[in-house]
Amino acid sequence: MNAAKVVRRNVTVFWRAWRFSFFLSVLSPVMFLSAMGLGLGSMVSETDAFGGVDYVDFFATGMLAATCMQAGVFNATYPIMMKMMWQRNYEAMLASPLEVRDIFLGELASIGLMLAQVAVPFAGVMALFGVFDSPMAILAIPVAVLLGLACASVIMAFTATLQTDEAYTWLFRFVVTPLFLLSGTFFPIDELPLWGKVVAQATPLYHGVELVRQLAIYELEASALWHLGYLLVMLGIGTALGMRNLERRLVP
Amino acid sequence: MSSPPGSDALIEARSLTKRFDQLMAVDSVDFDVRRGEAFGFLGPNGAGKTSTMRMIGCTSPLTAGSLRVIGMDPVTQSSEIKARIGVVPQMDNLDIELTVRENLEMYARYFDVPRDIAGPRIDELIEFVQLTEKAKSKVEPLSGGMKRRLTIARALVNEPELLLLDEPTTGLDPQARHLVWDRLYRLKQRGVTLVITTHYMDEAEQLCDRLVVMDNAKIVTEGSPRDLIARHSTREVLELRLSDDERGRLKEWVDGISDRVEWLPDRVLLYTSSGDEALATIHERGIETETALVRRASLEDVFLTITGRSLVE
Ligand SMILES: Nc1ncnc2c1ncn2[C@@H]1O[C@H](COP(=O)(O)OP(=O)(O)OP(=O)(O)O)[C@@H](O)[C@H]1O
Ligand SMILES: [Mg+2]
Repeated sequence: MNAAKVVRRNVTVFWRAWRFSFFLSVLSPVMFLSAMGLGLGSMVSETDAFGGVDYVDFFATGMLAATCMQAGVFNATYPIMMKMMWQRNYEAMLASPLEVRDIFLGELASIGLMLAQVAVPFAGVMALFGVFDSPMAILAIPVAVLLGLACASVIMAFTATLQTDEAYTWLFRFVVTPLFLLSGTFFPIDELPLWGKVVAQATPLYHGVELVRQLAIYELEASALWHLGYLLVMLGIGTALGMRNLERRLVP
Repeated sequence: MSSPPGSDALIEARSLTKRFDQLMAVDSVDFDVRRGEAFGFLGPNGAGKTSTMRMIGCTSPLTAGSLRVIGMDPVTQSSEIKARIGVVPQMDNLDIELTVRENLEMYARYFDVPRDIAGPRIDELIEFVQLTEKAKSKVEPLSGGMKRRLTIARALVNEPELLLLDEPTTGLDPQARHLVWDRLYRLKQRGVTLVITTHYMDEAEQLCDRLVVMDNAKIVTEGSPRDLIARHSTREVLELRLSDDERGRLKEWVDGISDRVEWLPDRVLLYTSSGDEALATIHERGIETETALVRRASLEDVFLTITGRSLVE
């Protein structure tokens, strides 16, 4: 498997800083859950709006998904552009028997590992905060990773078409941040006006958040299949598009 | 320059063409590279050298024509071809997150070189390119010449039979260039086939057994360096710098004493079998020269003769 060689390269580089990275992966949920979950949550006594669970449970599950989305998107931007254009690592890889699909799939798999490294400690902290009460909750981890990967694949397809990094400022400011705020992470999308609800339901984060919540704090419903399907299809489209775009870019 | 069928051509290109949208980068070129030789592409910026190299290296599909590399088809057998060649790209693309040694180790993995073979081979390569002291260093602080040598070592981790070098010494100081030339010469002696692009005529003369001169996407001439000079130039060249007045006076009768004259903006080149005789005549006729230099003809002159332009602006 040639894609594994790309993963190996990335893991070698990543491994050097794993302690720091792991520290951040733990610190971030501890801070968010303390401040937003417990702090803010203590003022939210009305639980009906959150499906009968504490606000900290509602918030933590949303935050797990949103964090993975952000990490997935980020890792498909500057780090990929760096290797594609600035350091030209991919050019070097292509001069070996590796092909473009190996590079794309290897990068995607590396992002998957990175996401697991974010999601697992996050879920661990959630468990300490008493968010989970069913063993099914463990499945929230692969779902959050899948959400991050689906986003990463599409953004990698986008990165492969860029000549400069200017577009990223816009991407984060006008796509990622609004998604983060309005896809049901902090409050149920039922609170949004109708058009907002429709838009929110079209976003990958909404589906990721819903699925994570059904697994971790609510009852599993039939709609879970629809949410899962959405994320899988997105990953499939992102991968096909990404391989095509990267091929055009690297093998002109 | 084409070889008969069944010959030992390592690369065979026929009507090889590369177009980017409207731009012709390589326009129907034919050439053969034989096993064991050092073959050059000499040409100015934008001539199509890199585009040709990339097609040979299977990282750019052909627009038209045919290409065989080590008897294989770059379109359908790119991984197999790449496993057997080494590439030194025009711009270094070393992995700056890794050390010198790790760069080679990682690359050896890309080529599936078994660990127990890779270890000693990498030691040898580091020594071959004289980076032993830097083996544990990161890539970033290395000098341009060291990076170039590391890139060459990296291209050798799979023991390639064919090495593609795209401007191996551009940007290096003379000492660093000579070190690279020396290593390339040794590789050639070991039987590695070298394909080199350059816009330095001295590099082409030093390294190449045969070369093609490219200009504007086309091959304009081909042969050994000595051959090309003999065919397209005189034995010697007299280079003069003159005031405008003296230039005017020289113009009136200079054709009588030289085979051909190039009037460059800053210099006048007289192509002649004896530069000293020509210079003596000029002085006899009372023309004052600011500087006068007699030199052997070079590939630069070949290029000038054929295209009417200098190789390096
Ligand atoms: N990916 C590309 N897309 C569009 N045009 C390209 C591309 N690569 C090269 N070209 C164009 O093709 C022509 C030949 O370029 P090439 O890089 O092959 O020249 P070269 O001989 O290597 O020049 P140099 O000495 O500057 O490296 C140039 O006009 C160049 O702008
Ligand atoms: Mg070039």
